[in-house]
Amino acid sequence: MARYALHRIGLTVPLFLAAAFLIFMAGRLAPGDPVVIRLGDQYDEQAAQVIRRELGLDRPLLVQFGHYLAAAARFDFGESFARPGRRVGAFIADALPISLRLTALAIAAAALVGVAVGVAAAVKAGSALDRLIQIGIVVLLSVPNFVIAAVLVLVFAVRLGVLPVAGVSDARSYVLPVVVLALLPTAYVMRIVRASMMQALTEDFMRTAYSKGLARPQAVLRHALRNAALPIITQIGLSFGYALTGAFIVELIFNIPGMARVGVEAIFQRDYPVIQAVVLVYMAVFTLVNLLVDLSYAALDPRVRY
Amino acid sequence: MRPSTLGFATSAAARPVPTARPRAWTQFLRDVPTMAAAVALLAIVVMAVAAPVVAPYAYDRQNLEGALQGPGRAHWLGTDNYGRDVFSRVAHGARISLAVGAVAVTAEATIGALWGVVAGLYGGRLDAWMMRVVDLLIAFPALLLAILITGIFGRSLVNVILALVLTAWPGIARLVRSQVVVLREREFVEAARAAGATSGRVVRRHLLPNVVHLVIARATLDASVIILLEATLSFVGLGVQPPQPSWGLMINEAFGYLRSAPFLLAAPAVFLSLTVISLNVLGESLTVALDPRRRRSRLPGAPS
Repeated sequence: MARYALHRIGLTVPLFLAAAFLIFMAGRLAPGDPVVIRLGDQYDEQAAQVIRRELGLDRPLLVQFGHYLAAAARFDFGESFARPGRRVGAFIADALPISLRLTALAIAAAALVGVAVGVAAAVKAGSALDRLIQIGIVVLLSVPNFVIAAVLVLVFAVRLGVLPVAGVSDARSYVLPVVVLALLPTAYVMRIVRASMMQALTEDFMRTAYSKGLARPQAVLRHALRNAALPIITQIGLSFGYALTGAFIVELIFNIPGMARVGVEAIFQRDYPVIQAVVLVYMAVFTLVNLLVDLSYAALDPRVRY
Repeated sequence: MRPSTLGFATSAAARPVPTARPRAWTQFLRDVPTMAAAVALLAIVVMAVAAPVVAPYAYDRQNLEGALQGPGRAHWLGTDNYGRDVFSRVAHGARISLAVGAVAVTAEATIGALWGVVAGLYGGRLDAWMMRVVDLLIAFPALLLAILITGIFGRSLVNVILALVLTAWPGIARLVRSQVVVLREREFVEAARAAGATSGRVVRRHLLPNVVHLVIARATLDASVIILLEATLSFVGLGVQPPQPSWGLMINEAFGYLRSAPFLLAAPAVFLSLTVISLNVLGESLTVALDPRRRRSRLPGAPS
């Protein structure tokens, strides 16, 4: 287990560093010299040199990258361009928990509903219920989630008025954003649960379970679902990463002050340090979740050994 | 050119079994959802190409007195908050969505296929490095990469296409490489090499023809992802900029009038969803119809 974990981490770290370097370089390649912007009308070569030295811009690129990463590890992403004096890390610290909470709620909902419906579809494979679920999966996978969001807002917020249109003031206001964000992961989870459960239900151990007198629900839940769990957990883990970026759209639709608002505002204002920080932090969360999914393999399945 | 030696290399082994192909295609052509998707897509393409002719008004012609009219005789999908004709905007929006999709898919499929062929053919250290680049780009969620690019280099259609290409090509490269690695060990490639064929000729005559079907199937699926991503970016405000119409942008604009003019949502939502679903169905069917393994399994006597 420990060796496997080390191996996985060994694969992940260089990948993350490369991604971070790409994000760092994107900031360097951005049009506009930060020193020129900072000096404005008082630009002269000597003052520019001094500022370059102060900011460390005269150092080799890799050294600058090292400093950038070291600072980022302490959640220090420098100062905002658009709002001088404000620390970028402070925006992120305000926004990130909101986005993570939204994503976690959506994934929890997707896991619960996806597993329940997927198991039902597999147990009743070929029935009208199964057909209906399959059609539902196709619809969820192919209709853009902002289109579904618009329809849900129209029905539940505008027409029926039972849920708020936007904001995150109380528990009720979380319902629509979480539902919209959960749609796509639910479809993926349902699909994988159905497929792997149908496989597990035909295995020999199921016959053994029935022949020793287990009732069907117990056999299905205790034996089939457990054996089908691995791909399901992978899918849920991967969904978390994608729901994180999916939350971008949901936050904008429902006017939630999460990472999306910070990021999109930064893009409109060309606030490079903020854009870089948003992408880097998301990349870090994404990488971490994927690593945890991989490690959970080894923890859950004794056959996985490196 | 010496047809005797090269003819040996290209004849029997290099080409797929000819008797099997019509079966797969017949199935493909008889599949009702596939044909429905093809017809829907064709209709949308025709509408996009003929947009200047079929659209009754210019997409940016404003008429503030006739704003937010419901569907009627003069404007059969209604008018938006500036009094612009919704049908004209949807038709022109199709032009932009499909053009962006077509350019991005062509570029990403070409880059991906060449990258995959070179990596797979030469192998070794070059392959390892080329595949690390692919791993790196695949590790980025598509939307995040698009945000980085449009955020740093500015919001423009060119940057959107750049972002779309950058997120999509590594998938094709990985697919093509995995095939080329197998193909390059096959007898017909060995025979071609023995006959003195250069690497360029091996790629053109033997490797590319054997992966092109996979690239086409995958590119069709990519097209649906790319069009959806363009719509998403435009919806967020990072893609197509007003007053140019795009389905994603129109859906965004419709959000502001859900109470007074919910019909504004219908047209762009239906066309976008229809395009994405059709490309998906078509891509899935192409993958099955063009997959030599599945083709073989349908031959008489083989278990289906």
